[in-house]
Amino acid sequence: MNHNPVNWGRPSDDQYGPYNYQIANASNVASQATKNSQNEFPTMHTQQPMITGASVVAVKFNDGVVMATDKLGSYGSLLRLDDLERMIQVGDSTVVGVSGDISDFQYLQRLLDELLIEDNYDMEQSNLKASHVHEYLRGVFYNRRSKMNPLWNACVVAGFDADGEVFLKYVNLLGVSYSSPAIATGFGAYMGVPLLRQKVENEEDVKKLEKEDAIKLVRDCMKVLFYRDARSWDKYDLCVITKSTKKIEFQKGLECEGQSWKFARDISGYGLPQQ
Amino acid sequence: MQAQNTLLNTEYSTDAQTEPIEHRFNPYQDNGGTILGIAGEDFAVLAGDTRQTVGYSIDSRYEPKVHDVGDNLLLSANGFSADGVQLVKVFQNQLKWYHFDNNKEMAVSSAARLIQHMLYRKRMFPYYVATILAGLDEEGKGAIYSFDPVGSYEREQCRAGGAAASLIMPFLDNQVNFKNQMDPESNGTKRRPLKYLSLEEVIQLVRDAFTSATERHIEVGDGLQILIVTKDGVRSEYFPLKKD
Amino acid sequence: MFLTRSEYDRGVSTFSPEGRLFQVEYSLEAIKLGSTAIGICTSEGVILGVEKRVTSPLLESDSVEKIMEVEKHVGCAMSGLTADARSLIDHARVTSVQHDLYYHEPIGIETLTQSICDLALRFGEGASGEKRLMSRPFGVALLVAGYDDQKGPQLYHAEPSGTFYRYDAKAIGSGSEGAQAELQNEYHKSLTLKDAELLALKVLKQVMEEKLDNKNAQMASVTKEGGFRIYSEEELAEIIEKLKEKEKEEGSDDEKDKAGEEEGEDVD
Repeated sequence: MNHNPVNWGRPSDDQYGPYNYQIANASNVASQATKNSQNEFPTMHTQQPMITGASVVAVKFNDGVVMATDKLGSYGSLLRLDDLERMIQVGDSTVVGVSGDISDFQYLQRLLDELLIEDNYDMEQSNLKASHVHEYLRGVFYNRRSKMNPLWNACVVAGFDADGEVFLKYVNLLGVSYSSPAIATGFGAYMGVPLLRQKVENEEDVKKLEKEDAIKLVRDCMKVLFYRDARSWDKYDLCVITKSTKKIEFQKGLECEGQSWKFARDISGYGLPQQ
Repeated sequence: MQAQNTLLNTEYSTDAQTEPIEHRFNPYQDNGGTILGIAGEDFAVLAGDTRQTVGYSIDSRYEPKVHDVGDNLLLSANGFSADGVQLVKVFQNQLKWYHFDNNKEMAVSSAARLIQHMLYRKRMFPYYVATILAGLDEEGKGAIYSFDPVGSYEREQCRAGGAAASLIMPFLDNQVNFKNQMDPESNGTKRRPLKYLSLEEVIQLVRDAFTSATERHIEVGDGLQILIVTKDGVRSEYFPLKKD
Repeated sequence: MFLTRSEYDRGVSTFSPEGRLFQVEYSLEAIKLGSTAIGICTSEGVILGVEKRVTSPLLESDSVEKIMEVEKHVGCAMSGLTADARSLIDHARVTSVQHDLYYHEPIGIETLTQSICDLALRFGEGASGEKRLMSRPFGVALLVAGYDDQKGPQLYHAEPSGTFYRYDAKAIGSGSEGAQAELQNEYHKSLTLKDAELLALKVLKQVMEEKLDNKNAQMASVTKEGGFRIYSEEELAEIIEKLKEKEKEEGSDDEKDKAGEEEGEDVD
């Protein structure tokens, strides 16, 4: 089980042995001055992310989607950035939550800005729906992975599709995509999704989940992630997309409330307490 | 040297690998799932489970992977899901151009040949998928074509592909092609003669195949999507599978 | 008359103020200098017939090739600058072989004709950066005859302008005006392949300057069963013989009519 963004899209260590950092640390600068054979290396593409953002958590409810991302940018184990916003609003019907490499995230932000501008040239009213943004991102990710030069991210795209229906779909650095009533990236896939699926196992359950309950559910997930994911944080942004009002509302700078670390006292190692 | 430390200790390590294993971005992933196609006399079915996985995680319990691509053709590419989705999209685009250029529907044999070329074009960086195409041939008989990742293909009566292919295929050999079945009258000297199965029989076979595969394979389950093609068009059915 | 166009008839891709491309129109004139070619489409198949100009008794007549095979189920007859037809037919052959490779089926005749016409306008640069292939438009027209499962036997006429039309019967080349008029009189939907063979030769005979024989004409057919086939000199001689007999049978009345028509052409 390896949820660290560094290991996304990489053969697992259990199977192939530990990562050989000598290869990854080779210089990728084609410098004439340092022309000794040790440093010579062909063009290198992204082999690992630098500053990373942790999980994105999102769930559908009976009238829309709730999504959250924390505000942390990690540089390895260093808390590097403390006021990150990792959800991008694209037009009036899409929000993209991004985890993984932050510089790639900012590049995506620029791409999506350009996409929106192009769209605004064509139509007076916005035509760009969440389903279109998702398909665009899938194309970008898939093409980059096919050039062996991936954008090191996992995204959740939420909003409204062309028919005005609620849309929620995942896409990552490989171009792999799927939709589900409950989606989370990174560590959230292991610790968030089970909590979310307790409430929404399928689309039928979505009809029974109220907005307030969905917000509470996502906030609980963020808290659990903060408890257990060392690269997450208790300050986060939350986004509520509502179908009936056609509104996308952000609640920025929320904090994990009602934390209790009592459980931590009895824990040593992994799994059940040892005798 | 540190590079030496990255060598795996396997039974072959002494004679096989003296160079370090290069770890780098892996453009492939196994997304599990299984697909199954069976041809009948005047119909063909293509079925797939709706679970999408990576490792031990279930990403989605409902992500359909069998597609009605038009012209009474069903297509599914199972394996690395990003490649599967891309292959179907490229095919649909090619089909559109075929219509512009030729003003007619694409025959299933033509679609099969086209898919071979789409796969073989990427011989050196393959689409990591088991592909199955279903449709009706020129005589109206059910047709299943199956492909390996680099485009080698064959028309068959039935084929399973993906994670649980090796579990389902022997069952199909026995139940569709009557392998190892003897005429009871003949005292084990005559094989049971082949015959076309009815649509009801085929659907029951498909359901049995998937419930069994769900029991034995962790990457199979959640839901069963069956697409049925007849001369009247494409019809879809859904049956739940176990979610564990 | 021609002098007034002189400003606009040089560049191949310059319109005149009246909206005409003179070089393309001139290329159509080149075809009118060519030998006559005739195509007749029946429900049983398509017949192609061409006149070969055997300009010298020392010329080996079978070295004059004006009907060519594109694929098993398609052939074409040409008129005009026949050398230009080589690249068109090459292109058609490549296209049809490629279609068979990619789709495991014979290419449709209309699709194939379209692909030939795609080449016709490549004397200018393409809109999406295609390179200019030729310095001038083609000086040849083709009659494309073929059979496909979708539309049965078909006959198309492809011009240097890049347009093509489907015909029941079509004549091109120097004798085309007279021949086309005659085809219009004689063509009917219930024509058999044998009828069409005779009709093609009869029309050719009328418009040719030389006396028709099995050396200065060539004939081919496309049928569902036999595909494309060029007739041997012996077969052609037989049909010519049959034509003569038929003309004798039809007697002097018809002969007079024909004489009248031929006179009419001379006046043109």
